[in-house]
Amino acid sequence: MKLIFSIGLVLFLAPFIQAQDEQVIVLDEVILSDIKLLQFSDGVKTRVLNDSVALRNQGTFTDNLRNNSLLYFKEYGYGMTSTVSFRGTGASQTAVVWNGININSPMSGQTDFNTMLSQGSNEVTIRSGGGSTQYGTGAIGGSVHLNTTLRFNKHSDHQLSTGYGAFNTRSLFYNASLGAEKDAFKIGVGHYASENDFKYLGTDVRNENGAFGNSSIDVSYGRLLGKSNIMKVYHQTFFGDRNFSGTLTAPSNDNYRDLNSRSLVEWTNFGAKKVQRVKAAYLYERYRYYPNRLQDDFSFGKASTFLVNYDYKYRFNKFVINGISELQQINADGSSILEENRTLFSGILLVSHAPTDRLRYGLNLRKDWISSYDSPFVFSFNSRYAISDTYEVSLLGSKNFRAPTFNDLYWEGAGATGNNTLAPETALQGEVGQRITFKNIHVQLNGYFIASSDLIQWRPDLSGVWSPVNVKDAKQYGFEIESGWKKRVLGHQISLNATYAFTKSIDTSTDKQLLYVPIHTARANIAYAFGKWTTYVQALFNGYVYTTTDNQQDLPGYIVGNWGLEYDLPTVWGAATTMAFKLNNLANTRYQNVAFRPMPNRHIYFQLNFKF
Amino acid sequence: MNIKNVVLALAGGFLFIACENDDNTAGGLLLGDYENGILVTNEGPFNNGTGTVSFISDDLSTTEHTIFNKVNNADLGNIVQSMAFVGDNAYIIANVSNKITVVNRYTFEEVASIDTGLENPRYFTAVNGRGYVTNWGDSGDETDDFVALINLETNSVEGAIPVDFGPEDILARGSTIYVAHQGAFGYNDKISVIDTGTDTVSDTIDVSLVPNSMQFDAAGNLWVLCAGKPAFSGEETAGALQKIDVQTNSVSTTFDFNLTEHPNHLSIDNGTLYYSLSGAVFGLSVTATTLPRESDFSGLSIYGMTTKDGKLYTTDPKDFASNGSLTIHSLDTKTEMNSFEVGLIPAGIYFND
Repeated sequence: MKLIFSIGLVLFLAPFIQAQDEQVIVLDEVILSDIKLLQFSDGVKTRVLNDSVALRNQGTFTDNLRNNSLLYFKEYGYGMTSTVSFRGTGASQTAVVWNGININSPMSGQTDFNTMLSQGSNEVTIRSGGGSTQYGTGAIGGSVHLNTTLRFNKHSDHQLSTGYGAFNTRSLFYNASLGAEKDAFKIGVGHYASENDFKYLGTDVRNENGAFGNSSIDVSYGRLLGKSNIMKVYHQTFFGDRNFSGTLTAPSNDNYRDLNSRSLVEWTNFGAKKVQRVKAAYLYERYRYYPNRLQDDFSFGKASTFLVNYDYKYRFNKFVINGISELQQINADGSSILEENRTLFSGILLVSHAPTDRLRYGLNLRKDWISSYDSPFVFSFNSRYAISDTYEVSLLGSKNFRAPTFNDLYWEGAGATGNNTLAPETALQGEVGQRITFKNIHVQLNGYFIASSDLIQWRPDLSGVWSPVNVKDAKQYGFEIESGWKKRVLGHQISLNATYAFTKSIDTSTDKQLLYVPIHTARANIAYAFGKWTTYVQALFNGYVYTTTDNQQDLPGYIVGNWGLEYDLPTVWGAATTMAFKLNNLANTRYQNVAFRPMPNRHIYFQLNFKF
Repeated sequence: MNIKNVVLALAGGFLFIACENDDNTAGGLLLGDYENGILVTNEGPFNNGTGTVSFISDDLSTTEHTIFNKVNNADLGNIVQSMAFVGDNAYIIANVSNKITVVNRYTFEEVASIDTGLENPRYFTAVNGRGYVTNWGDSGDETDDFVALINLETNSVEGAIPVDFGPEDILARGSTIYVAHQGAFGYNDKISVIDTGTDTVSDTIDVSLVPNSMQFDAAGNLWVLCAGKPAFSGEETAGALQKIDVQTNSVSTTFDFNLTEHPNHLSIDNGTLYYSLSGAVFGLSVTATTLPRESDFSGLSIYGMTTKDGKLYTTDPKDFASNGSLTIHSLDTKTEMNSFEVGLIPAGIYFND
């Protein structure tokens, strides 16, 4: 009750506590769409993948993240459905957050990472560890953030990229950022498509029915109103048309078309001590699944989410206090789910304190009130302490949750039935991190423990009808090492990034490793640049994974390398052109990411990038 | 690789000893490693994998897994639906792979592979040297279902008999074939009667909804077990056990279940019919006048089931993502006799005698 009262106090009384506005523009508040990621995540491991990483990594969004983060993807054939596992947790235990809004499908609780394009106008941040207090359901293992950053200064930057490669893969991207003192505008249009009919190494079979074509558009606009108000609008639409490829033993002729559309309007009023923000967003998603792409019959699902959010932030004495209230209305309908609505109200309180220059910590609280089930009260504690200029430690703890999805609750048909008495999954976790940073080198080591209970699992009842139950407990523990080194000598630049993760994800009742969680994964990227030339090598090691819950069958591990070469052509008519060549699967390794679904053999991709 | 060989050698050795002690095989001469035993077909994981076959020797002393893969170093295909024997051959149907693998039933060496002319193949039977295989056709199309005709000399599909939608179980008696139309992903309520002289559907019998299994009794009556429509269909209907007079092709007796009861796995042993219902197994005499109230067994997890020579055989798929088990109970004493680990999602139980 006290908590509710405190949140209420912050939310409703706060606007009257009018501090003396010093009309100082807090730059971050202006340009960023998800300020929480910066302000209330002290000690949380975050990694930003900037545009150059994205551009270098021609390929799917899955490719991009797989090669540049510790995320493990389970990809049901190249370019097909791709789900993520963060620190050994499940696919619906990772939240995907677009400009501060959780965009996991309300139907499946997941995001298919092949329904996003790499080279959109978004910046990608990977936030490790629980974040339910800020991002809600699913932020257990971690969260992936797609943010659009607006620039308020006079500029006009355009980027055009076109590529072509093996298996008739082609891409076309155009991104523009325009700005003036009071206006900022961004647009990104992209298309990525492939026949994807590579030959399965060691067989006479090709990857049949694997073609895909994805398109997306991102538009955002911001306008400063006076000196202390800003209005921002963001929009993203994605269209996907994919055939779902077969396997070594199963042919396929199905097709999947999906549409995801997200819109967000945001008004911010800011001063030196207080910031208040109102947001309204509408998310729409729809899929159609054709079991036979030559026929008209399909099954479908669609969901729409409308939310309004009020956010009030106040600073005093090195404290920042942020109260957020949000009202969400979700509606979903489909061939196999009964049309249902869910109304959700969230109250969130975030506190951050920096008592000294060396110590920062925060405490976050959240409670959701939902029409269809009882949502737990969750909290998180985060801290970081700089022992010296080069050595920093962090300590984190949190309770997080994953809500039952519309499929879990309301599925009806096809041998299965939902269970409307499900409770949310909950997970308690702790993490210790340390980071050493010198001028050219950094090393970060994080260890964590996650105890999850009431995991939702679909199981058949005695008459063979599948239904979800809160049946399983699991624990995840492990550590991650990330290191980077770069050096510049006489125009030669060399950089090296290497990561390793040890992940145990254990079903507590059987003591067995969960399906498709590699115990060992490692990545290394080396890049070398001199003058107009850049070359790089990416190597990914993915350890074996179990494919049965009794851990009797496994899929062997693999190492896959890629090599790239880039050359800057002379600038013509103000356009800087870069030619990029990439050889994927350098050693022609025969490997599978999901059993019986071979991944592509060695193949090339060629790209031309223009900047003007 | 070495370890594998050792395991194989050991398994082979045990088998040899086991066989030597077997009085039924005069002089220890065997037609193959897998003669005289129980074969269990394991569906395997949906989509990303292959089905397998497990072997358990008749004296229950030896079990061996993935025998087809071991002998042939190849996969049977996705979702091994069923198996049938004709002469020295076994016909193993992989549903999603649209493939029938023909093996020598005793050695499990591959004889042939039939991979054209099939679409969603389900069950197999043979009459007069020809194979008949039920096929759903495209699962989204209710008008393209058929029974494929297999030339057992050439092991190829040589024709198709169009039938009503969702053909499942197939049973032969004399030169007549009975096909139960369970209804694929939908629901149907018919039995097709096929005259193998003309290879046409000569009659259609209306039964209750969702006929899933059939048996003949000693008097030549055809028993059909219908599950009814499940609750998730939105229009739940009761299951039924029906007796058909094959002289007139009409239902002569119907035993109705309660609305929420959906029985499965009809089998017959020594004049008693058995079926499963919500983890329990019920038995009734072919002369019974009502359904039994008391179950013979309960609390089982049953994915596949059959009865033979006083024993009940059931398979348990566990969590559908790890090796399942085959359990043998005595029908006489109603007690468990043995249990064996088999492969992933075990469904079919066959006797290779």
